[in-house]
Amino acid sequence: MAPFFQNSAGRLVPDALAGFARAHADIVTLDPEHGFLTARDAAGSRLVGLVSGGGSGHEPLHSGFVGAGMLDAACPGRVFTSPHNRQVYQASLAVARRGGVLHIVKNYTGDRINFGIAAERLAHRGIPCARVLVDDDVASDSASSGAGPGRRGTGGTVLIEKVLGGAADTGLGLAELESLGSALAARCRTLSVASAAHTSPATGEPAFTLGREETEYGVGIHGERAARTVPAAGLRPLVARMAGELLAELSPAAAGDPLLVLVNGLGGITSLELYGICGELVRVLEEQRVGVARTLVGSFVTALDTRGFSLTLMAADWMTLKYYDAPVRTAALRW
Amino acid sequence: MSATDGPGGGDAAGGLALTGCWMRWFTESALAVEAELTELDQLAGDGDFGTNLGAGARAARRRLDRLPAAVPGSSPGPGSGPEAGSALPLEATATAFLDEIGGTSGPLFGLLLQSLAAAVAESGTTTAALCEGTGRGLAAIRRVGGAAPGDKTLVDALAPAAAALAAAPPGTPPGRALSAAAEAAWRGVRDTARLRARLGRASYLGERTAGVPDPGAAGIGLLYGAAEGPLGSLRSRLAAPG
Repeated sequence: MAPFFQNSAGRLVPDALAGFARAHADIVTLDPEHGFLTARDAAGSRLVGLVSGGGSGHEPLHSGFVGAGMLDAACPGRVFTSPHNRQVYQASLAVARRGGVLHIVKNYTGDRINFGIAAERLAHRGIPCARVLVDDDVASDSASSGAGPGRRGTGGTVLIEKVLGGAADTGLGLAELESLGSALAARCRTLSVASAAHTSPATGEPAFTLGREETEYGVGIHGERAARTVPAAGLRPLVARMAGELLAELSPAAAGDPLLVLVNGLGGITSLELYGICGELVRVLEEQRVGVARTLVGSFVTALDTRGFSLTLMAADWMTLKYYDAPVRTAALRW
Repeated sequence: MSATDGPGGGDAAGGLALTGCWMRWFTESALAVEAELTELDQLAGDGDFGTNLGAGARAARRRLDRLPAAVPGSSPGPGSGPEAGSALPLEATATAFLDEIGGTSGPLFGLLLQSLAAAVAESGTTTAALCEGTGRGLAAIRRVGGAAPGDKTLVDALAPAAAALAAAPPGTPPGRALSAAAEAAWRGVRDTARLRARLGRASYLGERTAGVPDPGAAGIGLLYGAAEGPLGSLRSRLAAPG
């Protein structure tokens, strides 16, 4: 039992949101009535507002990516629970531009429905609204059977939010951003592993237990167990296996493009480990003559304190890299 | 019925009387059957639908209480169309269900009511407007939730209701058209008992939902049936007629 430092499980998210807004008052503004954050400095060149959101517990996603060069607004739900359509609707009204608003949505049923209801309300008000659905997690691929909710949205979200932010600042319209976003999502795949589950804020207990010599291969970001529990095989073979599966899943149309690589911590892993993993991944990719254009290393899309990491590969043409390299100033990402 | 049911849907004050009574009776019905809906949802869902619909009804009632009373001959309230006043009770109920209710079923009812409000604001409380609003609401709900007829959701009651409104002969008074829609909706609700859930929380229960009608669909029967008056219990509507 490892209890959380919190006033109560119900106060965890609202207290953190207030503290976040205070700590980053130069970057974000909190709407306390409807529970969303907006960027203080939004580029005047944008025609379209970018709105994302989802359950809490994945910090710094999405609040940490609100600011110049990235999101105009983020709507946090309760821990691992979709935001309410009202939050999304109000946030969208607050940041919609002349060209409307783009929703960046991770592929989970609750998020799809609540962002969808907000989109219908915006249409009712005459505000153009489109959606980019992020579904990068190869471990949840049910597309082949044609049934089920499809791949989950995970680590790739941060790359897609960054690239779309850079693109939006150049004054692209809603339809252009929507098609760029879905092209990015199609060229982006993620795989996650864990050696220990997250601690539940409600009970203080781990969401599931693993043996010392076991790795959860293809774990979700809400404590969903993976389809496979594999014997711990050492870092080098583990990273090689993950890289091989990700390369096989990338769109053949993207072959030849260099990769944007994200090595992402799931909340309970050290930077030392993440950089070691990055080194192994780059070595494997270069051995296979796959170009690595950019690497991003850190804990960006977490699952509370899950002891694990995810690897994301995005095939990136020169335009994608240009948008990725554009300046950004948010709580969690700046260059 | 009254002059509100005259061909063409009656004047603005009559339209407001119809939508105002309809929404009040809908909230009364939702509160009266809250426990029955909860019981159904415990058998065929995650048990919160009755509570969510009840919470929506309470929130809607607070908003309806703040609306100006219908005064015959008075000008309609603020809004875009010529019949904006008649749309106010629908709009107030829609906003309550969209903004104040957790889960997803309640806000989906809000989307339907919003479409009805928009259609009534444009062309008054006519059968054509109710048909148009129901059709648009059904399309929005299907876009958002991805449900098709046969998935054991509220679509299985709303699609027949929309079809019944579309089939109403020209000149059908709106009250009578809503009754026909309600009858079709309740038939759809009873038919969901034979279906197996494919979407939503109910889908996790698989075969265990067999024999139990879908509570969300029952909510649609409740909504269209409320134009005739409040319902005290689901029992008579869930039992096969004859």
